[in-house]
Amino acid sequence: MTAYIYDAVRTPRGRGKSNGSLYVVRPVDLLARCLEAVRDRNHIDTAYVDDVVMGCVTQSGDQGQCIARTAALVAGYDLDAPGVTLNRFCGSGLEAVNHAAAMVASGFHDLVVAGGVESMSRVEMGSDGGAMMDPQTELLLNTVPQGISADLIATIRGFSRDDVDRFALESQRRATNSWEHRFFDRSVIPVKDQSGLVILDKDEHVRPDTTLEGLGKLKPAFEMLGKNFALDDLAKKTYPEVEHIRHVHHAGNSSGIVDGAAAVLVGSKAAGERFGMRPRAIVKSVALAGADPIIMLTGPLPATRKALAKVGMEIGDIDHFEVNEAFASVPLMFMQEFGVDHAKVNPEGGAIALGHPLGATGAMLLGTALDALERKGQSTALITLCIGGGMGIATIIERV
Amino acid sequence: MTTHKNAAFECSFEAESGIATLLLAMEGKTNKVDRTFAEGLVDAIAWAKSQAGLKGVILGTAHKNFCVGADIDSLYPMRDPQATFDYVKGLNGIFRSLETMGVPVVGALTGSALGGGYELALATHRRFAIDDPGVQIGLPEVSLGVIPGAGGTQRLPRIVGVQKALEHITQGQPVRAPKAKQLGMVDELFPDRDTLYAAAKAWILANPKAKQPWDDKGFKFPAPAPTSQDARNIFMVACAMLYKKVGNTMPQVEAAICAIQEGSVLEFERGLEVESRWFVKCAISDTSKDMIRTFWYHRNAALKAEGLPALGAGEDMGIQKVTILGAGMMGAGLAFICADKGLTVVLKDINEAQLAAGRKHCEAELAKKKHLSAEARASLLGRITFTLETAPIAGSDLIIEAVVENDEVKHAVTRELEPLLSARGIWASNTSAIPITHLAKASAKTDRFIGLHFFSPVEVMPLLEIIRGEATSDETVARCLAFTKLLGKVPIVVNDGYGFFTSRVFGTYLMEAVQLVAEGHDPVLVEQAAKQVGMVVPPLKVFDEVTLKLGHHGILQRERYLGQNVSDIPGVKLLKTLVEQHQRLGKAHGAGFYDYPQAGAGERRIWPGLAALVAAKPAKTGIAYIADRLMYIQVLEVARCLEEGILRDKRDAEVGAIFGIGFAPSSGGPLAWMDRRGVANVVAKLDAFAAEDPASAASARWKAPELLRKMAAAGGENGRFWPRA
Repeated sequence: MTAYIYDAVRTPRGRGKSNGSLYVVRPVDLLARCLEAVRDRNHIDTAYVDDVVMGCVTQSGDQGQCIARTAALVAGYDLDAPGVTLNRFCGSGLEAVNHAAAMVASGFHDLVVAGGVESMSRVEMGSDGGAMMDPQTELLLNTVPQGISADLIATIRGFSRDDVDRFALESQRRATNSWEHRFFDRSVIPVKDQSGLVILDKDEHVRPDTTLEGLGKLKPAFEMLGKNFALDDLAKKTYPEVEHIRHVHHAGNSSGIVDGAAAVLVGSKAAGERFGMRPRAIVKSVALAGADPIIMLTGPLPATRKALAKVGMEIGDIDHFEVNEAFASVPLMFMQEFGVDHAKVNPEGGAIALGHPLGATGAMLLGTALDALERKGQSTALITLCIGGGMGIATIIERV
Repeated sequence: MTTHKNAAFECSFEAESGIATLLLAMEGKTNKVDRTFAEGLVDAIAWAKSQAGLKGVILGTAHKNFCVGADIDSLYPMRDPQATFDYVKGLNGIFRSLETMGVPVVGALTGSALGGGYELALATHRRFAIDDPGVQIGLPEVSLGVIPGAGGTQRLPRIVGVQKALEHITQGQPVRAPKAKQLGMVDELFPDRDTLYAAAKAWILANPKAKQPWDDKGFKFPAPAPTSQDARNIFMVACAMLYKKVGNTMPQVEAAICAIQEGSVLEFERGLEVESRWFVKCAISDTSKDMIRTFWYHRNAALKAEGLPALGAGEDMGIQKVTILGAGMMGAGLAFICADKGLTVVLKDINEAQLAAGRKHCEAELAKKKHLSAEARASLLGRITFTLETAPIAGSDLIIEAVVENDEVKHAVTRELEPLLSARGIWASNTSAIPITHLAKASAKTDRFIGLHFFSPVEVMPLLEIIRGEATSDETVARCLAFTKLLGKVPIVVNDGYGFFTSRVFGTYLMEAVQLVAEGHDPVLVEQAAKQVGMVVPPLKVFDEVTLKLGHHGILQRERYLGQNVSDIPGVKLLKTLVEQHQRLGKAHGAGFYDYPQAGAGERRIWPGLAALVAAKPAKTGIAYIADRLMYIQVLEVARCLEEGILRDKRDAEVGAIFGIGFAPSSGGPLAWMDRRGVANVVAKLDAFAAEDPASAASARWKAPELLRKMAAAGGENGRFWPRA
């Protein structure tokens, strides 16, 4: 059976700090607004929703206790619509879509709302603890903070500070252009308060006034940690041929910390017919891959190869790529590895400009790709994200 | 006053105050943690509790030290995990019963409290110490390959916080009482025993409900909370810093970090269990056996000069006035440490600027001695005569020659100045390689001519390699050993031969690194490999510091003394090329294997020009291969020194390699390193290296000595250097 994508919505992305617009909004509400929009735009009876599958990375505090189910209840979904919250770190949002697609394709489910949420301003990244970096695991795995991994990629692949800064600048330019030309209109739903006042209707992390000069002045964010606290040395245990790690990443060429949520409506052909929905695309291929957790961010490469190979496609068959801009060196690595033209990669701007609300980003990227394919009359897109712990995820969608 | 006594404690109870005093008073003037101690403590606690009207307990010592920790003789043979676990579990139960006995307990640290001794103090409610830098406090367990096993990793973090506890426990360096107070490891300091005991009594009476913080319902961990992001970062960085320092060669330090973190998030008593499980893993390990053998048994034997010529009973070493010839860093350092020990010192040079630099060095060293009074400083410096003249030397009991490494210069200096020695005066050369017997040719009193090879920086390096020339007398050796003891150095006594012991082995280490580079192995990997096997200094970096110029000089000198032509060896060729054609003379000259940018302009980097001077990258390379080469070449040289009789005692191989040249400390030394791998396997590996070595024909670099082949053939206990622990 085929899994169809019927709709994709997202909130705008607010700065993920206490000065961000969405800081005053509960994450469950961000997600509930997306669930409401998917329901209302498509006139579905939520009693037919087999599951609400949501990605969320830091599942504690406001985001604890299975936020997917809570959001479904808050959004007034039928009590019969259950919910599950999953965590594949930065791949969670796309994992949710893939999971939904798998359930539909298998015939077990007919209609699933997938997506994700992350309020990074309210629930601090890493505040859920975990064993990944406790001493015993650390001594076994030797993982380092991901910024150092990103710098290691830049070092090994020869990306200079200028390369990553130029990439960041272009991300800002593209995101600014996307907003100017209203490319996100179909997906973005404003976040409003109890009285209907708009709290945020536009991505607020974008900095249209970014200059190369300005970026050049920013201090590398991980140099001190790497050099003074020996984390570079630890990384060099696994990469001993690297004499010095070149620290090139900073806040201006890494993904923005933001708040946001997204939802994607995935269903069978029959579900679409039931509610009179026109499918927009199919989920053609999904893949996961694992890679070395120290360099951590190379997962998109094997995941992409796997996703392509499964359906007999080649990199040249893809019209549009969304490669999550966790750090500039990740999409640069992707382009270098596959020889893909920059024009095809993140053409609407990426997380460096728009932000990366961890659990939601994958679903947002899928919506962005879908909108762009439709606007340009193109057919296929590949969405991929690097993931903590050294994983990668990729999804290929094709318009119908 | 009621009294009671057992094999470990002298107990007394003062009915008026209701205070019981339990004094550790073990046989042999040293209180240590063993079964006698444990049984004694159980008995003492029970006795105290049986006293009617008991209001509190002072836990102190009848000896100089409070308690110096675990009895190593009982620890060393422990190999059975269950028995070891039961032992520490029992000990923890006793300490727990002390801190929960229902009355306040004060630890009276009138002397040093180390290891299990300090853990005992941690199980009291209040730690009072004497304000004396001679009182040492702390948890040095990791230096013997284990971790604190009687609650140290659980109580200390709960008292001083995870950051300080981590630093203290992972470094394994005891601190002086004032510093312990500053860190919160003791609560208060007192000028003497009487005031301390009076304060202890007062504190007991003022705090009748005292209990441990962790037994308080509202207990809060000192910030940062162990589950906080800050604490998580501290632990992550601790792992990284440890790796940077010693690679993964110190499993016991890793275990300490794990025990602290994993126990800190649990209820206290279960935290103790976590510690016990980590302790057992370390205590029964080969690492701890090898470290204990070398850092405890061998080091102590060396410090006591066991098996070496000794002065007669009551005999004085007869060294009061010392002259140091040459005011370089070594000479000036020597002058300083001698003056620091109360000797009268003459520091002589022929160059005014050098002499001034020597004085400056001494003044800088003096500035580091923060605990000295103004008078003590003045008198220390006043004991050194800085001079360009020879007259002040007259009457010296010891002259240590530290002039340039040139036998002609050394001969000339000996001829000129030896007559100025006092009647029984000793002439010592600080040469790092030139045979003492050869240098003694210029001496009129060869029985009092000796090699005293100090290591740089001499204020810090613990080893002194004493070299006997052919004619050096036992008496001269004995007097020099007494001098070594005065300086607080660890001695090894070796026989004469070019490079003696340490320089020979260290030379192979450095030259093998150069050889590897010449063969086309990545120099960055060479440095990494050395770290990963636990070598204290990376070879190319330290070669730059020693200076390539000196290494080059050493090669030429070695060829001259040994009559060997080594110029065909690729590593030797590379070194010669670097020095002779590219002026890569070493760090001091701004250019060696590394480029040295101006301060603040980035890190040192391998000189890019090196690539053009070496072979193409070999097929067989990588960290593991390179590390093997660096280690096997050293242990091979050690075996040769043993076979040739340069080493007169196996102990000196371990002590000399570890304390002199930074051979991987956790191995216990080169002989233990071979034992760990099996001598037969070592020989097989050496043969394999010989077969593949491009320079093998020219130098027989990898030829295994007969000594090793015989041991390999013998197998069993005869195939080992040390009995299996």
